[in-house]
Amino acid sequence: MIDARNLTVSLSGKTIVHSVSLAAKAGEITAIVGPNGSGKTTTMKAIAGELPSKGEITLNGHDIRALEPWQLAVKRAVLPQAATIAFPFTVREIVRLGLTVGPNRHAERVDAITAEALAAVDLGGFAGRFYQELSGGEQQRVQLARVLSQIWEPVLDGEPCFLMLDEPVSALDIRHQLTIMQLARRYCEGGGGVIAVMHDLNLTAMFADHMVMMKNGTVAHAGRPAAVMTDDAMEAVFGCRMRINGVPGPGVPFVLPHTASY
Amino acid sequence: MSLNDALRTPAHGSRLMRSAKIRPEGDRSAVARLTLVILVGLSLIALALSIATGASDASALRVIGALLGGTEDTVLSMRDRIIVLDIRMPRALLGFLIGAALAMSGAVMQGLFRNPLADPGLVGISSGSALGAVLMIVLGASMPAGLMASLGAFTLPAAAFVGGLLTTLLLYRIATRGGQTSVATMLLAGIAISALTGAVTGILIYMADDKQLRDITFWGLGSLSGMTWTKVAAAAPIILLALVVVPFLSRGLNAITLGEAAAFHMGVKVQRLKYTAIVAVAGAVGASVAVSGGIGFVGIVVPHLLRLVIGPDHRYLLPASALLGGVLLLGADMLARTIVAPAEVPIGIITALAGAPFFLWVLLRHRGRDSW
Repeated sequence: MIDARNLTVSLSGKTIVHSVSLAAKAGEITAIVGPNGSGKTTTMKAIAGELPSKGEITLNGHDIRALEPWQLAVKRAVLPQAATIAFPFTVREIVRLGLTVGPNRHAERVDAITAEALAAVDLGGFAGRFYQELSGGEQQRVQLARVLSQIWEPVLDGEPCFLMLDEPVSALDIRHQLTIMQLARRYCEGGGGVIAVMHDLNLTAMFADHMVMMKNGTVAHAGRPAAVMTDDAMEAVFGCRMRINGVPGPGVPFVLPHTASY
Repeated sequence: MSLNDALRTPAHGSRLMRSAKIRPEGDRSAVARLTLVILVGLSLIALALSIATGASDASALRVIGALLGGTEDTVLSMRDRIIVLDIRMPRALLGFLIGAALAMSGAVMQGLFRNPLADPGLVGISSGSALGAVLMIVLGASMPAGLMASLGAFTLPAAAFVGGLLTTLLLYRIATRGGQTSVATMLLAGIAISALTGAVTGILIYMADDKQLRDITFWGLGSLSGMTWTKVAAAAPIILLALVVVPFLSRGLNAITLGEAAAFHMGVKVQRLKYTAIVAVAGAVGASVAVSGGIGFVGIVVPHLLRLVIGPDHRYLLPASALLGGVLLLGADMLARTIVAPAEVPIGIITALAGAPFFLWVLLRHRGRDSW
């Protein structure tokens, strides 16, 4: 499990995250939600070991600051919000970058895992395409395939591995949003854990096991979505009055991912 | 038209790819390995040609025959022997190493800065190295004789090395903030640093006496003439060390293509990678500039050309750049010393004549992009 206690992060002298505590368990999707600028991504970056921070962060009981980059890389993989690449890599070459550390770097496994990871994000047949020629949503899924292949086995040496996804579905159409959330769910069923920064509250309600609502760099509410998502909490955190399970007036169509059959 | 489209056009990669029967799709490693084999062959041919040809009619074969057969030395064979063994051979070896160093340094800089237009010459490292060398030529005379004597032939390469290293570190510090290197800042800072080192070099030229002026002019033109075994001994170890160390950075440079944060996430010790790359580039470029002066455009043309064929994977790109850089520089040198034989065109002129239009062509093709 990933356990962060009293996490405080300052960037350029400004404190972005104030003593945030959160725990992400193996077998669960932990969603971090909140308005823009509430410190979601900063919290995620601190937990990934990428930003200097105060407070305790442990990964399966190990202090992450005492681990070498490669020791972290075999136990957690991080999907960034956006990635631009200056050189003409093919999709296969990008995904293979994820397979340069850990137990899957051996040549005979690389091709098989690359193919499976691409199929898992619904990009089978894209291996020979150039990354820069893909649409934003396709690029996001290529990156996810790379991240997934880095910690392909959800459990390694008896310890769970963690996917850290920063807005994994932000550029995707509804079908692929569901595909990716299902993928996260299966990773958890395999014994791994997922932390995701989410903006879509409906998908969060559908898929998250644990939900952390952030506001102004602190945790406002945390718990199961059914417990956390209340009218009052929504208004306090997002600053607009919304009714949970409310239905719009007549004549306004709405569609929920919950109703999709896939 | 993007770089990727170019790869699709029959003139470049795809024909080679089809012939190499790549499998699976999107995997260019077979093409890359084939290219490496071809480049090793070309390198050997270029080295042999470079030793065999020149302004004089000295025959390398006859010299080798004489060495092996132990034929008695005549005056003519002595002359041939000196030309082949002491003039052409060190020139060929060092020329190849310098081309390799410049091209590979270009590939490393481009990978590190995540920008296909980065080049040691463009961002001011070469001018920093030249400043170090000029500083040593002009002010070295007033330094303690004992220090100069103990450094000997290594004085100039060492000074150029330090000059290149300091420039590179300065550039990197300026362009990097909060772990992110700004490409625009880097290019602008490189131009400013080039101007600054140029101005200081100007002051030194103003102070220099006639003999020093002659020595300084040498840097500006860039030439492989006057290579001796002493210079090989001074520059080759540094260049060879860089050529050996840099391929170990391939995996890290591949990862850093996705950004420094992503590289860290994938297990790369980013800070160590950056410093190793910077020291290696400064060393290789510094040693090259010290013995050959400013030879431009090899560092930008060669990696670019290769990316069109084998892709940007540094495991292949770095060694291939080194080999092709060596081959092209020897080719340019053979041109430089034969087109107006027995006189010589400075090789910097040849590489700029060929390299500058290529560079402009690259810029034209990148016009659609907004990042630089």
